[in-house]
Amino acid sequence: MKPSIKGIAINTFRESARNKMFYLLVFFGILFALSSKLVSFLTLGDAMKVLKDTGLAAINFFCVLIAIFTGINLVYKEIEKRTAFNILSKPVSRDEFIIGKFLGLALTMLTALGAMAVIFFAFIALSGGGFDPGIALYFLMLFLELLVIVAISLLFSSFTTPILSFIFTVSLYLIGQIMWTYNEFRSYITVPLWRKLTQALYYLLPNLSKFNIKNDVVMGVAAHPWTILFSVLYALAYVLALLALTILIFRRREFQ
Amino acid sequence: MIRGRWLALAAIGSLLLASGMQGRYDSTVNYFGDRNAFVSLPSGRTLQVLSFGYRNLAADLLFIWSIQFYSTYNITNRFDFLERIYDAVTDITPRYREPYLIGALIMVLEAKDVPMALRLLEKGSRAIPDEWLFDNDAGYYCYKYLKDYKRAERYYNLAAAKPGAPNFLKRMKAHLVYMSDDPQTAYRMWLDLYRSARSVLEKDSARNHLYQIRAENDLPQLQAKIAEFRQRFKRYPASLAELAGSGFVRAVPPDFYGKEYLYDPLLGTVSAARTFRWKQR
Amino acid sequence: MKALEIKGLKKSFRSNFLIRKYDILKGIDLDVEQGEIYGFLGPNGAGKTTTIKCVMGLLAVNAGEILFDGQPAATPAARRRIGFLPENPYFYDYLSAREFLFFSASLFNISAAAVKDKVEILIHRVGLSGHEDLKLRKFSKGMIQRLGLAQALINDPDLLILDEPFSGLDPIGRKDLRTLILSLREQGKTIFFSSHILQDMELMVDRVGIILDGAIRRQGKLSELISRSTQYYEVVCDHIAEKQLAHIQANFACRDGQFILTLASDADINQAVESIIHNNGRIVAVNPVKMTLEDIFFSEMTGGVFQAPTSRSNGTGGPHRPAKTGDSR
Repeated sequence: MKPSIKGIAINTFRESARNKMFYLLVFFGILFALSSKLVSFLTLGDAMKVLKDTGLAAINFFCVLIAIFTGINLVYKEIEKRTAFNILSKPVSRDEFIIGKFLGLALTMLTALGAMAVIFFAFIALSGGGFDPGIALYFLMLFLELLVIVAISLLFSSFTTPILSFIFTVSLYLIGQIMWTYNEFRSYITVPLWRKLTQALYYLLPNLSKFNIKNDVVMGVAAHPWTILFSVLYALAYVLALLALTILIFRRREFQ
Repeated sequence: MIRGRWLALAAIGSLLLASGMQGRYDSTVNYFGDRNAFVSLPSGRTLQVLSFGYRNLAADLLFIWSIQFYSTYNITNRFDFLERIYDAVTDITPRYREPYLIGALIMVLEAKDVPMALRLLEKGSRAIPDEWLFDNDAGYYCYKYLKDYKRAERYYNLAAAKPGAPNFLKRMKAHLVYMSDDPQTAYRMWLDLYRSARSVLEKDSARNHLYQIRAENDLPQLQAKIAEFRQRFKRYPASLAELAGSGFVRAVPPDFYGKEYLYDPLLGTVSAARTFRWKQR
Repeated sequence: MKALEIKGLKKSFRSNFLIRKYDILKGIDLDVEQGEIYGFLGPNGAGKTTTIKCVMGLLAVNAGEILFDGQPAATPAARRRIGFLPENPYFYDYLSAREFLFFSASLFNISAAAVKDKVEILIHRVGLSGHEDLKLRKFSKGMIQRLGLAQALINDPDLLILDEPFSGLDPIGRKDLRTLILSLREQGKTIFFSSHILQDMELMVDRVGIILDGAIRRQGKLSELISRSTQYYEVVCDHIAEKQLAHIQANFACRDGQFILTLASDADINQAVESIIHNNGRIVAVNPVKMTLEDIFFSEMTGGVFQAPTSRSNGTGGPHRPAKTGDSR
């Protein structure tokens, strides 16, 4: 990897690692995950299920939050504070800048999720749940989902303000979560033009529900290997598309 | 410029006034009236979508809430939406077992509505066909509360056929057949269980059932024959052997263990050496 | 081959969603020779920073070309040999000085190992020794400026482009920077910088380009620009009455009891001096006054031909401090 991309990536990671907000969010993620023990006391029957459900939900929620917040600020801050000038005035192309930023974000998410995952695994083991490889698989899927979210927020951050980036990214995330119902609703549309359009939209919008295997994992429903493979490839392809689009937009960006 | 301490006093005073007004407002307005907030609980399907991927958690929380809610005895009319709530929970995550079982339990014990419970349990059976617990519980409720032994037997039949079903289900079924006054079939089933018993406990238990059925079958017949004898000879037979010898019975049937039944010549009653009160009606 | 060449550079901005276009640069033509110090001078809003951003590829040009050593300048390849310091620089405040310089080096695909010594040397050279591990958020403006210079030099560039490098520096800082730039020229580097502080420019530059309203008004060697303009002379005297000076063909002003006569040519000096002495006056000083850069600058600003102001000297023979004596209409 070119030192310039690596340098930008590591620097981006460093920015998060030295940011108090980041640590706060990770801390709260872990806190809420551990508080799942309290929730599990309230249920009748399978307490371990509730513990896993609540814990994974907390980790999911906070990681998504971290992904969105670090992503939307990233490029925007560089442009606002003009730190981007320092980088782009060097022999660094706009492509390298975006790729480096993305890799730095990916590294950040890996660290956040990794920390939460390790602690949660230990927690489950101590609570008598042993090691559930399904949960490990879920964390992998979650990581891929986070990469998509990060790529989306990076895209918006490259051309609009943080507030709008936030709104767009959150909207796409929520839509992505319910895409599994999309085709069902689509079946009610009769006008051919709209049918074609909505079909195209189905593939354009991010289908994030495929990564959300936490419900199945806790229920003990096994994932089909092909399904997993296709999900992984989907994530990589979608991220690639987003990055390409971001680079295209960013290349035309003027720095007044 | 207003002095700082006046401002602080004004802040506190105004807040107290606002609280007071809120209280007065509340006394004039009834927030829920007779309507429970759960009239507008969305259907399970809607909740599935609205949970934005946190389906399991949503079901868990609703379930936990319901347990707390239904354990609170001072809430009146709290069973109005019982079925609706448990339908919602089980629709969000159909493969989550506890809500079916606990919900049915609450419906039977607290709301005293067994048919509602049976509907919920059957829903569970459809959602998780491999689970024997649902039919087991349904069978039990039919047996204990509805006293509908035929129906209970059907449930136990279903349960016993499911993978992982424990042996005692078959025994329950046999017992229920017995309870529904079909001693021949019951006897056959117990014989089957006796032969396939894997532990001493199971064997003993089967034997006891067989003894009882036999006794219950034989004793009334013997008693009838004794009555006939009395009619003929104007006295009770001195012993069962005499009864046999007089030709009213071909032979005196032994009990299941091959021993003689007990006979009291003064009262003219036959009884079994041991009695098992299976029939608790 | 010229170090930097800009031909017919045009740049306009469109206000968001408005049809109106704002032409910022209306056709810039300038060139910078190898190994010289070039001063880029102009008022606020003239287009200095816009021009520089076009050179660095931060803005896209609408027309014209920019060449570095004969090759297009706004490319990563060209930027490999250019060092750039932006106006009011802002660096990642969560890094330390040393970390920042290593990061800057990595952007040139220079590994950390290769540049380890260089970083230490540069830190020392810009006067930041002792502050290498301090986080940038604790740096003062002057320190940031120095660090900016260090990061502009990290790749040992052939051309340095500095946007307002003197802003925010105290007099010591300015002197250090002047010394540094001069030494860089000794090393054979080319320096192109914009500034408002005309005195500093005057002391250092080889050539000057004056930009006004999006176009270059004047460009050339400083000595030529200044010597092309009329020099004049000042004769400072006292112990004389005003009416005794009236016959001398000169403007004069009075200050602190002294009279300052402005003479158009050196031929008139002797005559004036004799006249004063004849009237028992005392000659305090005879100063040749060259036009300063500021004069040229303001003359361009106001669009008029240069007119010698009525008084320049402060009467004590000290450094010339131009007194704006009103519009030269």
